Parts: sequence; structure tokens; C-alpha cells
Amino acid sequence: MRELNLSKMIEKKVAEAMEVCNGEEGMRSDGCRVAWDEVEEVSSALADLRRRLADSAVDPLEPFCLQNPEAEECRIYEY
Amino acid sequence: MAVCTAYTSPSLHSPYPISNSSKSHHHFILSTSCRSNRRRARGEISCSSETNTVVIGLAADSGCGKSTFMRRLTSVFGGAAEPPKGGNPDSNTLISDTTTVICLDDYHSLDRTGRKEKGVTALDPRANDFDLMYQQVKALKEGKAVDKPIYNHVSGLLDPPELIKPPKILVIEGLHPMYDARVRDLLDFSIYLDISNEVKFAWKIQRDMAERGHSLESIKASIEARKPDFDAYIDPQKQYADCVIEVLPTQLIPDDNEGKVLRVKLVMKEGVNYFSPVYLFDEGSTISWIPCGRKLTCSYPGIKFFYGPDTYFDHEVSVLEMDGQFDRLDELIYVESHLSSLSTKFYGEVTQQMLKHADFPGSNNGTGLFQTIVGLKIRDLFEQIIKEKSATPAEVSKV
Repeated sequence: MRELNLSKMIEKKVAEAMEVCNGEEGMRSDGCRVAWDEVEEVSSALADLRRRLADSAVDPLEPFCLQNPEAEECRIYEY
Repeated sequence: MAVCTAYTSPSLHSPYPISNSSKSHHHFILSTSCRSNRRRARGEISCSSETNTVVIGLAADSGCGKSTFMRRLTSVFGGAAEPPKGGNPDSNTLISDTTTVICLDDYHSLDRTGRKEKGVTALDPRANDFDLMYQQVKALKEGKAVDKPIYNHVSGLLDPPELIKPPKILVIEGLHPMYDARVRDLLDFSIYLDISNEVKFAWKIQRDMAERGHSLESIKASIEARKPDFDAYIDPQKQYADCVIEVLPTQLIPDDNEGKVLRVKLVMKEGVNYFSPVYLFDEGSTISWIPCGRKLTCSYPGIKFFYGPDTYFDHEVSVLEMDGQFDRLDELIYVESHLSSLSTKFYGEVTQQMLKHADFPGSNNGTGLFQTIVGLKIRDLFEQIIKEKSATPAEVSKV
């Protein structure tokens, strides 16, 4: 879920950066540097998330459910 | 021995305004419950002498806690470092039995929106609160717990703080560990990871090319746009580092641009307290060594070592360099047996550590080898400092 969101964010931010950096003046502007820095930040976050998911053999919902057993996602229905 | 253990903190749920003013969050430096012990009879160690927190600084552009370096380092000390349990799932902090790794991005004074408004990148010192960084690192070094802010890389916002207790070894990792002079003075040892532009480009391609938004042009543009700030604010820190790991393209394969085979240089400053540089054959001499030959058969492109003295930003240094890759275990053992002053506790410890994490990137080349060696050096430094401190209980902390 988050992976998908981050992935979409990257697409969006890259497009933004390309737009801001258009032309000679655009390329030298502060806005251009900040835009690409954001792209880097989000790309980095996505790569990190992917790595964490790949590394962890644990279901990410498990620790959450230990703390919040009454949450919707954690309810167990036993008959 | 007196033990200081009570750490209390104000509620972590108080709202912290995330925004434009850089001084809008106040973080409390908590004192331990040790004051009453100071009046005990002389001869008993007071709480302040227990502050054996050793602080290590690591400057790297690769972001926080995700770096392989951190994982190797914490492994040398034993135990795996994990994010704090039960806390903010987007915390950048890693905690193991002996080590806590703090990401310096947590000291951003401006969140993503704030930086966009002011037109500054995360690399710019204006986006970071060095006063807070100094206060908190100093407090942790003195054995006091702190409420450290959290910078959420996913949302781009500053989240409510988390409690950090002083560990035996504190590693501060990020873009600016050596930027501020006061913070620099708190470091017992510092490392700068210097990735050359060609290698950075190759790595980012591997990381980002498969992403939908990215293309070769966008990756290139991103690196180039960040370069001016990087050169102005981050790069100059390398002159202060006690050791620099430089990662360059290999010289063994002409025109290689894949960044898979690497040439890695471990630049070690001479005269640093508690740190004795690794050497090949004889300290202070210059030697070029190709281990592959009759005793050892290596596959293409082989391995080449170099060791020699040099100067780096007007400091005397020793440089150990490895170009190429390890293909087999026996190559690694053979190389280890010829290196000296590794600070290992037993023969083959470097090889064992490398094998333990054979799946980590860089496990077959100089990056993994030197990161592991630096980890052992830091362990050695830590043990020397502890030994010294317990030998002289009276005049211990430089408070």
C-alpha cells in the first residue's frame, strides 16, 4: 500500500521537477534543486521500505496487533 | 557500582507543531536520578563517571539506518540493530544491545513543505537545527536520556519525539555529523563515506531505474541538481574525518561503468587517539600486492592491494586500497592473514563477519571488507576508552 503510494509520489515529483527546471533560468533556480532533492528523498524512502519489507520475515501487522487487539484489522472471529 | 536507571519523560503525545518556525519544538533534556549518590563516601564511583557513552559520527549521503555500514557495524558489537519496538513505525533510529544509531535527518528544522517554501534542500545547513543536535548528543554522551524529534521520510513531516536512552555506543549518521564544530568535538571517532560520482550514478541507476517515474535523464538530473549543495556543505566535512572510505570505479577493467567491480580506499589518519591504522606488510612502507598467483587462483578481474603513507588535507594518513572482488572464502582468509593491526580478537574474525552477512551489498569487495575492519577498529577504540575510564574514576567526564 505504502509502496504504491511512494511509487506514485515519485512519478509525480519527477514530473514536477522536470517542469520547474524547464529552461535556462529554471535550471538555475532554487526551486529546481529543491524539487530534485525531494525526488531523491522519496526514491530513497521507497528503496528503504522495499528493503525493510524484503528483510522482515514478520507480518507487519503482527506487532501492531499485539498492541491493539481491538483494532478492526486485528479482530479474530472464531466460532 | 552505582546504577542510574530511572528515565522519565513528559507525555509523548503532546502536539508538536510541524512547521515553518525552526524553534517551535522544545525538547527536554532529562536528568537521571543520580544526584543523591554524589554525597556518598569517596571511593565509590559516582554516577557521572558511568558516562561511558562513546560517540561515533558517520557522514554518508545514502540516508539513514538503511546503510549496510550501520548493519555491519552493529553486528560487530553483537546483536542486530532494529527500530525501537512499539514506537513510531517510521522512526529512523536503530537500537541493539550496545549500540544506538541516530539519523541526523531527525534534526531537520524545516520539514519538506518548509524547505520548499524557503527554497533550501535537505543538504543545506539552514534546514537543520545544529543547536538541538549539539544539546542532545552532549546529553546522551553525559548519560542523560533525551526526547529526540523524528523526521518522517515518507510523509516529509516532523513527527512527535521518541525517547532515546544513552547507550554504550552512540552512532550519529547522516549528512552533517561533522559540520558543526561543537558536535565535532563530541565525536570520539568519525568516518566519511566518499562515493565518487561515477559510482554514485551507477548505484542510483541500479536503485531507481525500475521505478515508474524514473529514467536515465531524471536520475542524472537529480544527482546534478544536488551537486552544488553537496559540494558546498557535505564534501568539506571529509577533512575532519578520522577515516575516509573512498569508493571509486575499478582500474582493473578498462572503461568499466557498471560500478560492480570497485576500487575502495581506506584513508586512515595518523595520530588519532585509540586508533591504530591497518597495514600491509610493514607500517609506513609502500607496497603493491596482488595476492593471486601460485598459492591462490582468482577469477577475472582478480584482486589488487596497495598500502602506503600519504597526506590528506594536510594530515598524515595511511592508505590501504583494494581493487577487485573476492570470489571465494579462501581468498578472503588469505587476504586477512596478510593484513596487520586489524584489532580482531581471533584469527579469521574479519572473514567470519563478512560471511555472516554474505547477502549484504559489498560483501565481495573492498566496501564490505573495509566497513567490517572499521567496525572492529571502533570496537577496539570503545574497549580502550572504557578501560581507561575505569582505571581513573575520579577525573573522568569532561563535563
